[in-house]
Amino acid sequence: MVLLQLFLNGLQLGAIYALTAVGFSLIFGSTKIFHVAHGSAFAISGYIYWWLASKLGVPWPIATLAAVIAAAAFGLLMERFIYRPIQRHEASFFTVFIAAFGVQLFIQNLIGTVAGRGMETVNTPLSRSVEIMDGLFVAPISAISIVVAIVVFTALSYFLGRTHIGIAMRALSENPDLVRVFGLDPGRVAQYAFVIGSAVVVPGAIFTAMTAGLNPAIGTHVMLVSLAATIVGGIGSVRGAACGGMLLGLAENLAYWKLDPQWSEAVTFVVLFAFIVFRPSGFFGSPTAAR
Amino acid sequence: MSTYIISLAILIGINAILAVTLNFILGYAGIFSLAHAIFFGIGAYTAAIAAMKFGADFTVATAAGMVISGVISLALALPALRVRGEYFVAASLGLQMLAVTVFSEWKSVTGGIGGLIGIPPVRFLGFDVSDPVLFLGLTIACLALIMIVIRALVRSSFGRSLKAIRDDETAASALGKNVALLKTLAVMVSSSFAAVAGSLFAFYLSFINVESFVLEVSVQIIAMVIIGGTGTLLGPVIGAVIVLLLPALLTYLPYLPPTEIGSIQQMIYGLAMVLLMIFRPSGLWGYGQSQDRKGDAP
Repeated sequence: MVLLQLFLNGLQLGAIYALTAVGFSLIFGSTKIFHVAHGSAFAISGYIYWWLASKLGVPWPIATLAAVIAAAAFGLLMERFIYRPIQRHEASFFTVFIAAFGVQLFIQNLIGTVAGRGMETVNTPLSRSVEIMDGLFVAPISAISIVVAIVVFTALSYFLGRTHIGIAMRALSENPDLVRVFGLDPGRVAQYAFVIGSAVVVPGAIFTAMTAGLNPAIGTHVMLVSLAATIVGGIGSVRGAACGGMLLGLAENLAYWKLDPQWSEAVTFVVLFAFIVFRPSGFFGSPTAAR
Repeated sequence: MSTYIISLAILIGINAILAVTLNFILGYAGIFSLAHAIFFGIGAYTAAIAAMKFGADFTVATAAGMVISGVISLALALPALRVRGEYFVAASLGLQMLAVTVFSEWKSVTGGIGGLIGIPPVRFLGFDVSDPVLFLGLTIACLALIMIVIRALVRSSFGRSLKAIRDDETAASALGKNVALLKTLAVMVSSSFAAVAGSLFAFYLSFINVESFVLEVSVQIIAMVIIGGTGTLLGPVIGAVIVLLLPALLTYLPYLPPTEIGSIQQMIYGLAMVLLMIFRPSGLWGYGQSQDRKGDAP
């Protein structure tokens, strides 16, 4: 029964991780930009939702919309004012990585200064657990986050497979010059990738605000998990990132069966480390991706 | 006041050792590690335990730290051999998080969150060098020695091979360079020297805990190297001076609330990293033009 409980908790956490990792993977897959500031989009939207819904009492649909706009705007501004100027003179991995890391550092401390360094939670009846079976507790929010993750993921698959801009995004990862030949602007397509990739973190951020709570360092944690999930799933594969996120969420919770909670992050990285050493291409990546 | 300046100078020296050793793999071998604070920590814990349990003097305690650090660095070298770029960043990040958990949970050895208290005053070849001025001398001597060794290594064929790997790994291996061995050696050298900084740190403060070896510290060391300039000998030292003087200067600004100084400092590092990458990727001390680092990642 304990194991079943942990499994259910893991599914919920995995759904949140999958949603964030998918955004990172989408951005990295189509633009080849290692967007380690992705966690900041999560932190910004989570805190905006908390501030509006919890502090000002704004109804949830409006707060959610504001969070989506904030995350999308963050992605757009990053592409326009950080990554594009850097890529204009030098596109090396290190330069982009350090700049993104600097943004992450800046946002994390800005949030700490503005909103305080404590743990902030959005109170909602949805996160109250109900005993559905003997000794098995489930909160409605768990089911909601899993359903939302499935809906977002299905919508994203449809978008990438069926719409013009979605196909262009996949094409961008294969061959930017060919995108230009087809009369599309690669910069514009990259902006779409950043906007959509950043916006999909919002449900995960809101669910985290409602359950585990937010703190200024959450962006770094989310960045680590997205990174790990993307590599475990296989770089460039959105489906892989979703599976990777789910696997990490499950692994983290199932570890509670034998280990103390403070080891949860360590478990994530043991999984990541094992994949990097033994199967760097991940679940769905092509075998040459790591090289 | 002069005690304050000496103590700041000692901390700058210790951090300069960390920056110089990280620059050895980051600037010359192109290995971007987010886990440098681990080896700082291993050096500090080893030296502290050697001094507390076995009454070891500085040379023995530091040597022990260097050996253990070098051996554990193989865990970092292992993924470095298999993968490049972003994968290695992720692996080193993972190792850093793992190490922090071990530092704070392995209570019988590291003292957990509380850390190790009461590290005996440092003895060096039978002399007591716990006087701050003498200790500053010891720190500067260690820094100078490490910089001389690294300068010699960089100019040797080993250093040239590392730079070849940094610029084009495929070409380097096509020319018959043993890429795996060279990378492993580079990581080991860098990690063992970082342990020297840890040993100095433990003896100087006579108290250590996990707080000094977390991810933020690794990031701060990276900031020193980046701000100063990667792939230069003096750049990281200049970076260490700037990064450590910043909080000291901030405390003199009257209108800043003291509780926010840490945050403001981190925001300045973040902003400095972003602006440098946009306008001057080679750092303050680097050569004016952007460095030839293309092709590091697929």
